Amino acid sequence: MPKSFGGILRRFVNLGLSILLAILVGSLIMLWYKRNPVEIYRLLFMSAFGSQRALFISLQRATPLIFTGMASMLAFRTGVFNVGVEGQFFIGAIMGTFVGYAVKLPMILHLPLALLTGFVAGAIWAYFPTIMRQKLGISEIVTTIMTNYIATYLVSYLVNYPMRESPTTAQTPPVKATATLTQFVEIGKGALGKGSQAHVGIFIALAVVAILYFIFKRTKLGYEWRMVGLSFPFSQFGGINLDRTFIGGMLVSGGIAGLGGAVEILGVWRKYKDLFAIGFGFRGNLAALLGRQDVIGTTVAALFYGSMEAGAMGLDWAAGIPRQLIDILVGLMIFFMAAEGMWDFLGRIKIGAASTERRTTGQES
Amino acid sequence: MDSNTSAQLLSILQRYVFNVANLQGMLRMATPVILAGLCALITSRAGILNIAGEGMILFGAWFAVAGSYLFRNAWLGLLAGILSGLLVGGLFALFSLKLRAHIIIMGIAINTFANAATIFMTRAVFKVAGNIADPRIVGLDPISIPILKDIPILGPLLSGYTFPVYLAWILIVVTTIFLYRTPWGLHLRAVGENPQAAETLGINVPRIRFAAVMASGVFASLAGVYLSLGHLKMYTDQMAAGRGFIGMAVNTFGAGEPIGVFLSSLLFGFVDMIGYRLQADRLLPPYFISMLPYVATLLALTVYTLRRRQAAKAALQAADTDKE
Repeated sequence: MPKSFGGILRRFVNLGLSILLAILVGSLIMLWYKRNPVEIYRLLFMSAFGSQRALFISLQRATPLIFTGMASMLAFRTGVFNVGVEGQFFIGAIMGTFVGYAVKLPMILHLPLALLTGFVAGAIWAYFPTIMRQKLGISEIVTTIMTNYIATYLVSYLVNYPMRESPTTAQTPPVKATATLTQFVEIGKGALGKGSQAHVGIFIALAVVAILYFIFKRTKLGYEWRMVGLSFPFSQFGGINLDRTFIGGMLVSGGIAGLGGAVEILGVWRKYKDLFAIGFGFRGNLAALLGRQDVIGTTVAALFYGSMEAGAMGLDWAAGIPRQLIDILVGLMIFFMAAEGMWDFLGRIKIGAASTERRTTGQES
Repeated sequence: MDSNTSAQLLSILQRYVFNVANLQGMLRMATPVILAGLCALITSRAGILNIAGEGMILFGAWFAVAGSYLFRNAWLGLLAGILSGLLVGGLFALFSLKLRAHIIIMGIAINTFANAATIFMTRAVFKVAGNIADPRIVGLDPISIPILKDIPILGPLLSGYTFPVYLAWILIVVTTIFLYRTPWGLHLRAVGENPQAAETLGINVPRIRFAAVMASGVFASLAGVYLSLGHLKMYTDQMAAGRGFIGMAVNTFGAGEPIGVFLSSLLFGFVDMIGYRLQADRLLPPYFISMLPYVATLLALTVYTLRRRQAAKAALQAADTDKE
């Protein structure tokens, strides 16, 4: 975290230019599609922000990304590349669904129980790769990817066999009303957020953001998480209990992802459909990278990514341009942003930001 | 009773392991894992953690099908796949080595990017979603090896595969020779083991690493070519199915040795093949069968690391008793 004004300025210029470069590449793709880029970008923007409905759809798409983004951010900050957020999200979602339809309780208990179950399930799912890295030193990248695939098939099995509602559709029974997160449409009797499924889960997401912000800024735990991520040997020397800090960070990361899955189900879908949500975890990874593994940065990136996704869905529908376009553009932004050598000229513009030593090979640490 | 059980056991073994069709299946399914393993090997031996293999496989598979469709020629499809591997490998090397992007961040971004880009291109170019299957896609034909094919058992076991299968075997040998019998291989190992020392000796470390990443792109794209043209003759979204990462695991089991990569890939080929058999027999819900390779990877990683730990501990103890 550069504290100096120059460092922050440099970061914004870097981000702005990266976005600009990605937009340029995107324009080339649109030209190849024989479309006018200005027109298409206007359509993208309008589908994301152009009406009240668009804004609420953007909010709806951004909500899960804030969770998965926070989960990735927390893991990355503690020096763990948790690319298993995708699977942890699924497991949280299916367990939240299960509690949602199988348990009978008053709302004041039911909803928190379903959310808590999602959190715990996600944390448990993250536990295996964590312990494999902690006890055996096995790289979390391979193991978390493996647990993603296992989660995907496990959930498909559950939805298709034991939790299946009827023989005709691969989905679970609907979640009871006592466990749902209210949608804005339901509050305002259609005056608010019509045509979207945005729901009050966004406030849970923002609460997670606030808590993480507080932890990182103000508590010993946050300090330890940051230190472990920055330098493993140094923090051990400094007396931090590495095992506890590392395992704790990873479990909370998985928990936030699982909570996100439960919130998405209880707010938007209200039942688990097979393969309902491919990619929320990976987009969360990208949001954390785009937001420079910073609490506020990642939140902004998740809101941005979510609204762009909403825009891209509008684009797909209106202009027939596949909505993966937006994932391509975000990927490009990250390539450009991460390529520090490309921005060396920025450093020469006398703003005196200390450049941090970057690991270039990933093995020297 | 006893003879009955053993007869049953024998028939199960025959059904699932000891018959030529199974062993052929094992060798086929091992091929993309071997190539993905070589992708991980060549970079890890140069001291680079390359996690972008998955994305490179996807691009290789897509461009192979696109090339074959466009030119109506499987070999030009193969060439297109390899070129995509060189291109993606080159870009990956440019960004992470020359422009100093964090290599793991770059890997995560490339994998997600490849996934989105191939889905996008499938829709944009072929106007279909999900998979590209078209009679105009020419697959690679099986090749029979003249004299070998007439030998009983060995013939069917070693002959009649498509080109990438043989190429994978050849590349295992070539990589071994390269690593241990050529000056470049020596340089590559030196760079991987001690880059500072290698630099002092006048070895151009960045250039060696750049070349290693490019080579890894070629290996990974060949795995993709095999999946889309050598095995299936179609492209399916996300058809790499984690093989890039399984390749990294295989490289770990193989201790970074080509022959080790080959042998541990056979294990994964075996798991895949058993999966097909179980699926045909409807013994398990298909979802559990699809899980097998990933569960096997986790189990194998755990067992392998535990055993290596024990071996290290035993060696230490032996050294201690020697002292006394």
